[in-house]
Amino acid sequence: MEQNEDIAIEVFKLHKTFNIRDDNYNTIKQRFFHLFNPAPIRHLQALKNIHFSVKKGECIGIIGRNGSGKSTLVKCMAKVYQPTQGYIKLKGTMMLMNLGVGMSHELTARENVYVSGSALGLKISEIDKIFDQIIEFAELQEFVNTKIKYYSSGMIQRLAFSIATNARADIMFLDEVFAVGDQKFLEKAVKVIEKSWIEGRTTVIVSHSMNIIEKYCKKVAYLKKGELVYFGNPNTAIDMYMHDASMHIPLEEKL
Amino acid sequence: MAQSLNDYAKNWFRHTNKAERIWLMAKIEFKLRYYENKMGLLWALMKPISDMVIYYFAFNVIMKSDIPNFVPYLFIGIIIWNYFLECTLGTIQILATKRYLYEYTNMDKLEIYLSVMLSNFIGFLFNLVIFFVFCVVTPVGLDFHLIFSIPLFLNMVILSLAFSLILSNLFLIAKDISQVWTIIIGLGFWLSPIIYDLSVYRSALPHFDYLNPISGLIINARAIFINHQMPDWKLLGFDFVYAIFFLLIGISLLKNLGPNASENL
Repeated sequence: MEQNEDIAIEVFKLHKTFNIRDDNYNTIKQRFFHLFNPAPIRHLQALKNIHFSVKKGECIGIIGRNGSGKSTLVKCMAKVYQPTQGYIKLKGTMMLMNLGVGMSHELTARENVYVSGSALGLKISEIDKIFDQIIEFAELQEFVNTKIKYYSSGMIQRLAFSIATNARADIMFLDEVFAVGDQKFLEKAVKVIEKSWIEGRTTVIVSHSMNIIEKYCKKVAYLKKGELVYFGNPNTAIDMYMHDASMHIPLEEKL
Repeated sequence: MAQSLNDYAKNWFRHTNKAERIWLMAKIEFKLRYYENKMGLLWALMKPISDMVIYYFAFNVIMKSDIPNFVPYLFIGIIIWNYFLECTLGTIQILATKRYLYEYTNMDKLEIYLSVMLSNFIGFLFNLVIFFVFCVVTPVGLDFHLIFSIPLFLNMVILSLAFSLILSNLFLIAKDISQVWTIIIGLGFWLSPIIYDLSVYRSALPHFDYLNPISGLIINARAIFINHQMPDWKLLGFDFVYAIFFLLIGISLLKNLGPNASENL
């Protein structure tokens, strides 16, 4: 614990098990009628004994095949899911970005900016100052007062990304965000990410794009069937992943 | 020492941001609720007035009950009841409808509840203005006793928050809680002294002024606004104990069931 102050995310012996019932008895009526023969529960071990920590300002990547637990791990780290065992410690405000995006579709872009900005710890007066910057970066000047349910998915993604980077969450979780948005916006987004690392924010990237992982991550975690197989040097992790992937699908295109 | 002081300052800073955020979310919630259609706020005011017209017609015109100042008497009962109804029945699915607020940032779930309570309270205040109009145009009038409504309304908000927490967290494990609550609240309306004369209520349902936490609120509101008396302190104290007791249950449910919200919805 010599540099405790520098650690932004601590994942301590994390286990996550989902209890899945084939019949979902979640009403009082069903529970009552099935009091004496409850549906069998299947335990799905999504994460097994994950243990690592991320230093402040560090950018780490998480890779692994579909179903290896990447998104579950990120959701646990972002405290969306409760760990079954172990704990997660976060220092500072965080924002999770995935394809779902944390915004209400009933609200306008303006309202979403203010709510999300405030949730990230900014004061209203501070949001006023960066508001135009956020809208401009997301290229949504004409749609500020439009409810985002009328937006395209790319527009929503851009807005979320713009809020996250301009409002300065201390920790950012990017779960496959590079999959959406056109090439032009992607370049802009990548530039901003580069810039924000210099400003020392902690970032966790989940991606299937090895280019992005290789280019931006100082450390990479490789997950395989819910277990942390490797955590450290990006090239080693990517090689391991590629090696495993090529064993299963020999002709898999290198991304 | 310096470190802990620093943390304290940081927490306080966060805290001020918290109040601002709750107010911001309450304003947006209010706007969403009332300004989404052309009639806007008018609907919010129409509801209790139309309720009142119906009960007035049924109880004063047809059944010839002779409660003095029946219009304000009825109206204050209805708006308190409606506040409780909106805060409880209206928020059972709050963790589902507002999940975008807590799933992507580390926002405290309690803030979401507080903002909805506040938003509903703004609506309540608009109704209260109409109530004051009724008081002024009838012989009831207004006097200084209305300052005693502050602890009363505080009690009302805490109680509503408590039930909102309990119901919306139980919703995570029992999806049909809203049907159950609809029955309870439908029964509760008739077991509360909203449309009855107080002496009739007390003789027909002995102890219900103490057993039903809403009864005390309505009885005391009438004492303050219509009879220009001090509230019944014993009853008010009793209701505060109720509110705090249910709030503790609600918060413990939020602490125990709330963290699994994302998985269960």
